[in-house]
Amino acid sequence: MPQAPMPELTSSVKLKYVKLGYQYLVNHFLSFLLIPIMAIGAVELLRMGPEEILNVWNSLEFDLVQVLCTSFFVIFISTVYFMSKPRTIYLVDYSCYKPPVTCRVPFATFMEHSRLILKDKPKSVEFQMRILERSGLGEETSLPPAIHYIPPTPTMDAARSEAQLVIFTAMDDLFKKTGLKPKDVDILIVNCSLFSPTPSLSAMVINKYKLRSNIKSVNLSGMGCSAGLISVDLARDLLQVHPNSNAIIVSTEIITPNYYQGNERAMLLPNCLFRMGAAAILMSNRRSDRWRAKYKLSHLVRTHRGSDDKSFYCVYEQEDKEGHVGINLSKDLMAIAGEALKANITTIGPLVLPASEQLLFLLSLIGRKIFNPKLKPYIPDFKLAFEHFCIHAGGRAVIDELQKNLQLSGEHVEASRMTLHRFGNTSSSSLWYELSYIESKGRMRRGDRVWQIAFGSGFKCNSAVWKCNRTIKTPKDGPWSDCIDRYPVFIPEVVKL
Amino acid sequence: MGIAQENRVEVKSMLTAVSSKPSRSARVHPFTALDNAMSPHTLHVIVYYPRSPFGSFDLDSVRISLSELLSMYPPVVGRVAKTPDGILEVKCNDAGLRTLKAKVCVGIDEWLRSADGHDESDLTAWGDMPEDPSTWAPFRLQINEFQGGGVAIGLSCPHRQADATTLTVLLKSWTEAQRRRCIVHPPSFSPLPSILTDDTDAVKPNSATISKPISTKTATATFRFSSSSFKKYIEEDGIFPKASPFDVFAALFWTRVALVKRKSHDRVCMCVDFRRLLPNPLPYGFFGNALNFSSLEMTNVADQGIVHVARLINDHVTNLTVEKIRSDLNRVGEQELMYGGDLTIVNMEHMIVEGDPMMYEAVFEDGVRPVHVSYRIGNVGGEGVIMVMPSPEKGFGRVVSVTLPEEEVSKLLVDQEILRFEPKIILSGVK
Repeated sequence: MPQAPMPELTSSVKLKYVKLGYQYLVNHFLSFLLIPIMAIGAVELLRMGPEEILNVWNSLEFDLVQVLCTSFFVIFISTVYFMSKPRTIYLVDYSCYKPPVTCRVPFATFMEHSRLILKDKPKSVEFQMRILERSGLGEETSLPPAIHYIPPTPTMDAARSEAQLVIFTAMDDLFKKTGLKPKDVDILIVNCSLFSPTPSLSAMVINKYKLRSNIKSVNLSGMGCSAGLISVDLARDLLQVHPNSNAIIVSTEIITPNYYQGNERAMLLPNCLFRMGAAAILMSNRRSDRWRAKYKLSHLVRTHRGSDDKSFYCVYEQEDKEGHVGINLSKDLMAIAGEALKANITTIGPLVLPASEQLLFLLSLIGRKIFNPKLKPYIPDFKLAFEHFCIHAGGRAVIDELQKNLQLSGEHVEASRMTLHRFGNTSSSSLWYELSYIESKGRMRRGDRVWQIAFGSGFKCNSAVWKCNRTIKTPKDGPWSDCIDRYPVFIPEVVKL
Repeated sequence: MGIAQENRVEVKSMLTAVSSKPSRSARVHPFTALDNAMSPHTLHVIVYYPRSPFGSFDLDSVRISLSELLSMYPPVVGRVAKTPDGILEVKCNDAGLRTLKAKVCVGIDEWLRSADGHDESDLTAWGDMPEDPSTWAPFRLQINEFQGGGVAIGLSCPHRQADATTLTVLLKSWTEAQRRRCIVHPPSFSPLPSILTDDTDAVKPNSATISKPISTKTATATFRFSSSSFKKYIEEDGIFPKASPFDVFAALFWTRVALVKRKSHDRVCMCVDFRRLLPNPLPYGFFGNALNFSSLEMTNVADQGIVHVARLINDHVTNLTVEKIRSDLNRVGEQELMYGGDLTIVNMEHMIVEGDPMMYEAVFEDGVRPVHVSYRIGNVGGEGVIMVMPSPEKGFGRVVSVTLPEEEVSKLLVDQEILRFEPKIILSGVK
């Protein structure tokens, strides 16, 4: 018996070394090619000696005009290259909102309120309990003050005060951290999907902080949980056009007006998962920020599956039979998310994967197209392209699905799971809480690449790739500062309520 | 008082205040035999402040300090549950403290002058435990804002779960947390010491918890006696040297109530907190009931002089030994109603710590001390309750509240012996 596993072990170890060797060979192919050539050239030069080199040089018969033209040509080409290179976009710093302890929602409180409000619908209460048990949320997630009332009081005033509370607190913190003065903000982008008052939330921010009158402000609403990365994309485009500028992005989701007050089961699901949160991010294209910026934006890929009807209708806001407005999540949500992810990966893969993986993928594609359609498609190993993953904490199922599809280990998805546990689904800002988790754990080193993936209604899959610009020390304050030592926690499959 | 009074207190909203940290273990807080004996009664504390520490309410710092304090009191935010054997206990599941917000349509001074016992009941939440207590909050806080400033903070709970000292310490600790001071009396959840519980049987399952409602209409009146009136009495009438204000005022009211009731009214029930009476005193933060109910008899008490009765009361309280407390504890199951089965006199002298009355030290903002603190017991028996409480002015003054059938209270309000002491009468409904 001890003999049988040994050959397997040795063969898997051998396979690992073969894989490693292959990766080194393909990824550093050019080096493997150039180094021998340069070595031979150097040996030749040394062999020839200085007088022979001078003779070869004189025999080439350069004259002044030729030299000048060549140098101008070289300078011209390099100028064109540097001018047309897209500006480097830096993420200087960001700040996540930490709700006060009075907004905490323990499981028992949530279920008690649910029972008191839905007292005629025990089946709906049961359903909510089952969702909460399996949700992956912890006992420290927060709901806005208006939702703690029995019954909830989701007035417009309450929604505005939630918006003011979360956005202004996050922005105050960001100004303090970066030392930025409000009058120096050039671009402001606020995204909040489900609350869009007049004047807009971006106007509210401009009013509060007395921002400049020639500020370029944009307010994005209705774009779902992936709106955070859409804002980053917009900021990037604006920063390409405007030199020497900075941009503030505020990502949030205002829960107060969207708490579903009916009892349709599929629409009660968001009540169990969505929680209060916000993030404020400072981006810049200034050269002077390159020393203090935390990250550089490498790639941003947006994929929209709206052209497919099933994807379009899978997250749909509608009225139920009694006229209460809520968000209906279809049962095919996971499958559709998988499709959207595949579309996104197909675009981002060639941009980020090392040559070894791309070659293997190409070979497997050729194999499937030409030789045998039944060959299993090769799933590239994204762990080689990224050190850290931030998967939108949309729910436990989303994280499980992505972990399976991308073959990620527990540690890779730890940031997402722990953010879901501590803060719940904070919609577009969840990616920033996850990034903050990784930093708080002291895992972010210079040169590390981070992949942020967000899904949103529509159905959209957006991903952003950041490269860490400097090793980040564990932040002293931040949303995780008082609880990071307790994490990671073990989250059971079902919490007994 | 037959005129129907419109409600001057209007409850505007209800929410649940949660603790700041999850209680990690799935704790249960059991009830002692004494706790279960208190079960028909409810307990209410009302603290009146001339200036409210609350602002917008949702984002106040006072709410944050409340949440932090509730983390130290898991049984306050838990829910009552029945074990398979039918025994009640508290599951510490963090469900939260129910908080109600109400508005009073008059100012605080007008209220103290003209409200009566029924009006004051509106300042806290009443209501007995339902059959299924899983979604019923036992502890309820009510914040009542008066017209023109001023607030009355009302905290109520079933008497099974806490006594007056526990609630007072809780409110005081809240103010200490708010002012970032260290909490002088942190809660202690250890059971009663074995010296008291050796002989008692295991906790018996509860029979029907609600007894028949009291048929007579009761009223409450509050008499404030100043230090000087006590001193005047001692000078005029003479009293034995060790007499405390409690002895004098309890004797005064016992004799006058006995006269009003026109029975010889031999027997009263004396309710004394025994936290500090044990050889190993319990801390003030002991959570639960630590009350001793003992009987005291005197024939023809209405005709006796106050001095005589005061001496009897003094002897009785001083002679409360551990053995007496233990034997009284063993007999708790025998009475149906702890308060009001006989005329009950409640002693709160222990709440005066080093000359300072504990409940008046519950200060949210410097310089804003409570103007009055009321304690009310629900489901009191027909014989009534006399509570002798500390006065906001330190010293020998006391505040005495009486809960009796309506006619008896109206007679007491014009009783000459009592009026001789020049009390300030508040919360008696006098227009």
